[in-house]
Amino acid sequence: MNDTHFKRMKDLPSTHLLGTGTPMCAGCGGLQAINDIYDILGEKTVFINAAGCMTLLSVYPFTPFRGSWLYTAMASAPAGAQGVRDALDILLEKKKIGQEENLTAVVLTGDGSAYGMGLSATSAAIDRNLDFIYICYDNEGYGNTGQQYSSATPHGARTSTSSGSMGYPGFKKDLFSIWAAHKPTYVATVIGAEPLDLARKIEKAAQLKGPRFIITLSPCPTGWGFDPQETMQIGKLAVKSGVWPLKEYIDGKIIHTKVPKIRMSVEDYLATQFRFAHLFKPERNTRLIDEIQGRVDEYWDHVS
Amino acid sequence: MYRIRFHGRGGQGMKTAGRILGTAFFNEGYEVQDAPRYGAERRGAPIFSYVRADKKPIDERGIITNPDLIIVADDSLVNIPAAGVMQGLNEHAVLLINSRETAETWQNRLGTKINIIVLPVNSSVPNPAEMPFIGAACVGAAARLLGVVGQSALVDAIHEELQDQGPDIIKANCDRALEAFEYMALYENCVQQRQAASALDYQQPEWIRPVFEKARIAAPTIHAGLTSVQVKTGLWRTLCPIIEYDRCNRCWWICSSACPHNAINVDGSTPVIDYDHCVGCMVCVAQCPPHAISAIPEAEADSEIKKSMQQLAH
Repeated sequence: MNDTHFKRMKDLPSTHLLGTGTPMCAGCGGLQAINDIYDILGEKTVFINAAGCMTLLSVYPFTPFRGSWLYTAMASAPAGAQGVRDALDILLEKKKIGQEENLTAVVLTGDGSAYGMGLSATSAAIDRNLDFIYICYDNEGYGNTGQQYSSATPHGARTSTSSGSMGYPGFKKDLFSIWAAHKPTYVATVIGAEPLDLARKIEKAAQLKGPRFIITLSPCPTGWGFDPQETMQIGKLAVKSGVWPLKEYIDGKIIHTKVPKIRMSVEDYLATQFRFAHLFKPERNTRLIDEIQGRVDEYWDHVS
Repeated sequence: MYRIRFHGRGGQGMKTAGRILGTAFFNEGYEVQDAPRYGAERRGAPIFSYVRADKKPIDERGIITNPDLIIVADDSLVNIPAAGVMQGLNEHAVLLINSRETAETWQNRLGTKINIIVLPVNSSVPNPAEMPFIGAACVGAAARLLGVVGQSALVDAIHEELQDQGPDIIKANCDRALEAFEYMALYENCVQQRQAASALDYQQPEWIRPVFEKARIAAPTIHAGLTSVQVKTGLWRTLCPIIEYDRCNRCWWICSSACPHNAINVDGSTPVIDYDHCVGCMVCVAQCPPHAISAIPEAEADSEIKKSMQQLAH
């Protein structure tokens, strides 16, 4: 990636596009990533937002966006993006607007919509080769309504609907692979705690055409149970422990953009969050911790 | 009927406090309604929860605008209009406030003669912004002020509502609640219930009939960008980050990129905190390489902000 504008941290934008005054929780990892993403995508964007935490960004009469924003039901954001894209294309074709007024359609949803309810609409949008960017802020549960489990919830995590001693019995869905299997233009995982890696991927996505996907793991102080100031450390631990692999799919290939040289143990990551506290207290659940570690190890064994 | 309104900030456990008090009433044989108010229930933001209890079925619904007991877990909320602490305050109501200051101070400050009872701040905690188990303390105190919720009903309710939290947390909550219950012995039974409102007394509000206008005008469309900056989310802050500019390396790309709330602007190469919108998450404090940003309790922040700004001017 020699042609990137973002060679070092100093190259990150020093002015920020997203307005202040939004009602996101203190220390929101999703908001942090979206700030960085918006700075790079720029003002010529229209956000199509499925129901979730981030729909509270824009609550009448307040908006932090510089341009338009459209609210859709949880399952329908990619369909909303299709309508917006078509409308823009028709206006362009009829010369009602010039190229300089063209906008990028950006879908913004949480994991509840991306991994679950909206997956079918997304699949169909890729079939139609819709020219759009999809941003999923993944806080591994239905955070806005009190952190019920979603299909992005990791194995063993406690949520308000999986509160037993073993936590969530299911496994986090591999959305990256599901999206990549559709062979869209671009798929990438990012995290706000690695802003340079994030900036390069958004820059790349912005230059491409067709369906493009970004999943950002979003450490959630409220839903995961940690002090808001730890958002960045927990994000970095997710990468260093191998729990959240930073990678991209482009031209039929998957490239890992940040391979931890020495992977930290998952325990170091799990122990930072109240949603995993039952793995350590009242007594250590070695079997479950080893199982989680085993799955992470197995993943990286297949990364060459 | 008893009508009780809790005020706190997101993260202080007011929703749970309402549930515990509701369950404790229920254990004493009352009909109960308890509900938090849905809104921007974010950490630090003003939070409300409501409890109604009566020996007869409760027909009243909705938020409580004529409380018999107002409980304020965080006294910094009193001067925030959006927190609505004073809403419906009447001569009959009792105001229970967790504060370092005396009841007389509060009476003078608010210009009221109503019964104000202070729940003293837990002084063993060094950081005044941290209020461990404050919800439990508020419920314990409230139970004594009401005089109709006994210790065993209270303890059972805490066990029931916190059963997922493990024995250590349940015990700590019970201890705090009973400590506050003991402390309030002097004020036992000072909250009086009032008759439930009758439907016959209902007065219809003076409805405003909006003019039917075209969708372009009448629809909730926002016609300008960046209007959210008018919302001063800085009011949510309980801790305040202060940059010590003598030690600041001017590596703005760390703190300004890290701030989830875009509240660190870059002036040339100098980071400047936007205190109107900093919600006090302290991510910058944790990230600053030379540790030039410190976390100061909001109550002491004004003079520190001034000092920091003077340093910046030099």
